[in-house]
Amino acid sequence: MKPAPLNAAPVFEAVGLKKEFDDGQVRALRGVDFRIADGEFIAVIGPSGCGKSTLLQMLGALDHPSAGTLRYRGKSMAELPDPAAYRAREIGFIFQAFHLLPTFTAIENVQMPMFETERPVHGRKDRALELLKAVGLEHRVNHFPAKLSGGERQRVAIARSLANAPSVLLADEPTGNLDSENARLILDLIVRVQREQNMTLVLVTHDMAIAARASRALQMKDGQIVSASEPAPPISGVT
Amino acid sequence: MTFSTVIVRGLMRRPVRTGLTLVGISIGIAAVVALVGISRGFQKSWEKGLKARGTDLVVSNMGSALTPKPFAESVRDQVAKLPHVAATCTLLVELTSIESSQMMILSSREWGGFAWENLKLVSGRMPRDAKEPAVVLGQTAADVLKKKVGDPIQIETSELTVVGIVNGGALVEDGSAIMSLPVLQELAGEQGKVNAIDVRCTPGTSEEQMHKLCEQMNALVPEARAMIASENLSNSQGYRIVKAMSWGTSLLAVLVGVLGVMNTMLMTVFERTHEICVLLALGWKRGRIVRMVLCESALLGFLGGVAGVAIGIAGVKVLQNTPAIRGLLEPDLSLGLFLVSVVIAVVVGVVSGLYPAWRSSRLTPSAALQG
Repeated sequence: MKPAPLNAAPVFEAVGLKKEFDDGQVRALRGVDFRIADGEFIAVIGPSGCGKSTLLQMLGALDHPSAGTLRYRGKSMAELPDPAAYRAREIGFIFQAFHLLPTFTAIENVQMPMFETERPVHGRKDRALELLKAVGLEHRVNHFPAKLSGGERQRVAIARSLANAPSVLLADEPTGNLDSENARLILDLIVRVQREQNMTLVLVTHDMAIAARASRALQMKDGQIVSASEPAPPISGVT
Repeated sequence: MTFSTVIVRGLMRRPVRTGLTLVGISIGIAAVVALVGISRGFQKSWEKGLKARGTDLVVSNMGSALTPKPFAESVRDQVAKLPHVAATCTLLVELTSIESSQMMILSSREWGGFAWENLKLVSGRMPRDAKEPAVVLGQTAADVLKKKVGDPIQIETSELTVVGIVNGGALVEDGSAIMSLPVLQELAGEQGKVNAIDVRCTPGTSEEQMHKLCEQMNALVPEARAMIASENLSNSQGYRIVKAMSWGTSLLAVLVGVLGVMNTMLMTVFERTHEICVLLALGWKRGRIVRMVLCESALLGFLGGVAGVAIGIAGVKVLQNTPAIRGLLEPDLSLGLFLVSVVIAVVVGVVSGLYPAWRSSRLTPSAALQG
């Protein structure tokens, strides 16, 4: 495991982050504190139902916390003026089940996040082609998802996550639906992209071998972080 | 890839369902085109017939039936005395079945009246006198009845002779069997009765003077009502009922189309819930999702509208050649009617898409991580 860049500026800061469902009957996050620095590769590990995906939802502004504070680059995410614009420009999502749109080709799927940008139509296509080449799929650009293998679909999803050059990649079990060989190739690709573009990567996984490649690992259990392999420095001035 | 590609691809996702929805909405629009086109066409044709006869005013009692109620022929003498009245011509008109035609206009005119002037002989001759049991057929009527000069023709219980074929200058005239007034009065048992008086005004009579003349006539003749020729049919209660029924039937058909499109779009939203959540997670704004659903339903409406116009035109052409009503239809299939129909279809599409669009806007992007 590589050392965490502790001196880097925090991308995310969480203090007492809580998320409850069904009027408090389900407590997915029970007061979580963490700090993620720019350019870090964080693995979030833990058993099913421990709150890993809920945490990812908070980071991606897909849902709101019930209590606590979550900041993105120093600004409270509760006060984001436009969460959709935040997701479109700052965040790239990679899902376990790929979530490609079945009626669109690979190159069209990659263009989907670009609709919310100022990029012209031809620019979108060129960018999508460039990204598909970068993930080694230049020969499959006009194939529909149903005609692609699992590994190829996840490559398309990775290209899609990079469409708007986000600064943060959020990956939810990105190799969970792949065989071991494809899982290794996909993980290599994600790590390479993260390093080359100096992105912050938060990757949720069950697999300790994958977590071992991260700069830090947050171990979760019952909605709490029970250990961090390299603790973040103390959080100060966060309200 | 443009946003329109996304819209089209959304509809192509379930081609059979989209096709069936298009059929539903297009039938509704076809009903609008056909029924409204036919009723408007009938009105125009009627007005054209009056114009061809040179009629300025019509005195008749257009009650709830399509043909006016008979009244005493002597009313004409009172009307003729009024100022600005240049000429009058009494008529007895019926809608009846004649041999193979289940519905035909039987138009009898005062012998020597101006209503005979517009009839141009194509073959044969005009009746020799007011009492001759003879008929002249408009060209369309002759075609429908397959009659030529010299053929016998069965009207009511009597057999008359076709003595001429005429061009009347309007479908209403061309589709009629025309005879002298006393002959039809005798056949129909309506001696001394007429159901319309065509009035020609003196040259230079203004529309305002015509309206005043109508008021004078109405005061003088309570059993009938005078109207400017162009307003005659539209004021008929029977025609109004037909017109209301044609719009009512059309709107009912359109309502079925609305429900069809709404059902399809709701199904689309339900089926694509997860995809919509993924798009939200990828940064699509809710407004874009709403626009996507509304544009899809509007496109569905537009395509249904265009197909409906085509089906409506085809349907009317088929109706025109149906033996029972051949020669009676001169539908007003104008570009304006087509445009209105397509606009109705697009509005139907948008309205039908409002609820599904609202449903789609309520979805949360977090569901994207749950699939």
